[in-house]
Amino acid sequence: MGRIELDDVTKRFGPETAVEDLNLDIEDEEFLVLVGPSGCGKSTTLRMIAGLETPTEGDVYIDGDHMNYRVPQNRDIAMVFQDYALYPHMTVRGNIGFGLEEEKGYTKAERGERVEEVAEMLGISELLDRKPDELSGGQQQRVALGRAIVRSPEAFLMDEPLANLDAKLRSEMRAELQNLQEMLEVTTVYVTHNQTEAMTMGDRIAVLDDGRLQQVGEPLELYHEPANRFVAGFIGEPMMNFLEGELDGGTLVTPYLDYSLDDDLRSAVGDATALTLGIRPEDIELEEFGGDPGSLGDHEYVMNVTVVEPHGNQNVVHLNHAGAEDEFDVLQAVTGGMEMLTVDEEVVVSIDPDLIHLFDGQSGQALHNRRMEAETELTQI
Amino acid sequence: MSQSRPTFDTASLVEDVSLTRIAQYILVVVFIGFFLVPLEAGFVTALKTNEAVARSLPFVPSLGDGFTLENLEFAFNQLRDSFVNSLLLALPATIVNVLLASMAAYGLTMVNWRGQLGFLILFLIGIFVPYQAVIVPLADFWNNIFPIAEMLAPTFAAIPLLAEYHSDLVPLIITDIAYGIPICTILFRSYYNSLPESLVEAAKIDGASIAKIYRRIILPISKPMFGVVFIYQFTQIYNEFLFAFTLIVAADAPAAPVTLLIPSLGASTSGINYGIRMSAAILAALPTILLYVAFAEQFAKGLRTESG
Repeated sequence: MGRIELDDVTKRFGPETAVEDLNLDIEDEEFLVLVGPSGCGKSTTLRMIAGLETPTEGDVYIDGDHMNYRVPQNRDIAMVFQDYALYPHMTVRGNIGFGLEEEKGYTKAERGERVEEVAEMLGISELLDRKPDELSGGQQQRVALGRAIVRSPEAFLMDEPLANLDAKLRSEMRAELQNLQEMLEVTTVYVTHNQTEAMTMGDRIAVLDDGRLQQVGEPLELYHEPANRFVAGFIGEPMMNFLEGELDGGTLVTPYLDYSLDDDLRSAVGDATALTLGIRPEDIELEEFGGDPGSLGDHEYVMNVTVVEPHGNQNVVHLNHAGAEDEFDVLQAVTGGMEMLTVDEEVVVSIDPDLIHLFDGQSGQALHNRRMEAETELTQI
Repeated sequence: MSQSRPTFDTASLVEDVSLTRIAQYILVVVFIGFFLVPLEAGFVTALKTNEAVARSLPFVPSLGDGFTLENLEFAFNQLRDSFVNSLLLALPATIVNVLLASMAAYGLTMVNWRGQLGFLILFLIGIFVPYQAVIVPLADFWNNIFPIAEMLAPTFAAIPLLAEYHSDLVPLIITDIAYGIPICTILFRSYYNSLPESLVEAAKIDGASIAKIYRRIILPISKPMFGVVFIYQFTQIYNEFLFAFTLIVAADAPAAPVTLLIPSLGASTSGINYGIRMSAAILAALPTILLYVAFAEQFAKGLRTESG
């Protein structure tokens, strides 16, 4: 059992507030990812669960037991650090076994057996007698995991454990970590600033910004129904496009294009006049422009292609207002990999009202999220 | 590439010779001479008879009649007992000093508690206390208030290989430890500050106590730093004169360390015997040189880790 609760937790370092009024409930055996930009308080949150920091206000519970003043070794947790923090003077065996020394109920022989067992599980049996500086990054990572697993704790706390690995190894370890967590059935709190890791690994994701919890939810929920502009921008790659503007009658007037809202959207907006329109690059459709402005439909605009980034499977297309002088890109769109566009080509951009998000221009709160009917049908198939 | 060619490439050799290069070499040679001549002169003088010293230039070695080993022999016989005293003083003082300093530095960098800064400032102040300012109260304390040397004398007499008078070294050892701790603590502190904090945090989460983290993680990791601080502090204590002069008082005291004897060796009413003085100086310098040679690798590694 390893249910972790954070109750109105605040952490201040002098005048700086790192985490503010955080409420988080992490279920037993859940894989929760804490994600956010650097300095958002995600690591501090993890360190408070670990017992390396004490909350200034609020309470931390593990399994219903109050933890605020309990030292790390009595919390029955294990932590994996970004730099692995392997003890450089000990062998792999010594590193993995170190945590067992203080664990009650093990004889020396049993400790040795347990270390071998864990090493086998991670495929590092043949490395047991090496020192950390003789290991590759991936191997060190495994040793760090072994050190966490060996004591069979209530919870794993991971602080950007994959950040120091190269891209290929990172995606391998991602899958491996998930398998391991499922096999061991241990509650895991995983801190990362990488939204791909967050999306692919987490049962649920908690997005933090500036010490405040922005949203907690399943990955696709965050993707399709972001609670605010920050979450919308943070989740998804390339980032969601935002067009800031004022509501004038039934039309959202932005510096580059005017977007008319239907009744449904207008009622969702309420009395807000400053609005931000959000549209994901993959939801924008591009067509060739025939040259006749009169043929444009309601939510269609002529734009210039400024940059095309080929990714193989897809192209990221940067678009600028037709005839614009400045370098600033208005939109980014994603097209299929085979759909070749050339720079300076004029295209028709269509923004489907079913796919747009609307955020309050001041608070950033989501007023309307994309309509989901099409998606739900898809998932039922 | 030119080295792999079978024929000697004179042209490139000439090309390499430039005025700045010549100037550089001259400068290097001058500086080497500047530093080495005194050493060489001392060494050569130690092996000269009195007459040879008077007749030849200090740095010119003399062979045949002018050559003698008597100076070295004499100086060694004079210094023999004080060598034992110096080692009995410097070795335990350095070992205890370095250990305590490392523990203090660990406590000041890697353990969180209130008032750390205040203690650190006390350590810093300790570095700047001038020795001259404390010698009178120091002598008063060890002679009248807490005469630990007298108290321990019977115990020392009972220990084999040690004599009663060796207890006179105890106040000196304690004093040297006390005055060596601040600077050594600061040296260790800068090293510990450069270690990743996650190491200690990982050990905490692994359930290790503060003492165990020190013993099992920090102590083994700081081995190179121990080498550096040990050599430094051993040299300091071995060469220390003022406290020894204050607490042991005289060169003819049985517990006198080498530094007390050196000034009086080879000096008499009939003049200064340079041969004996140089021999004594060279012999006195040997232990620190040997220590440095023995730990040179460790020393270099320690300096690297500290700056890196």
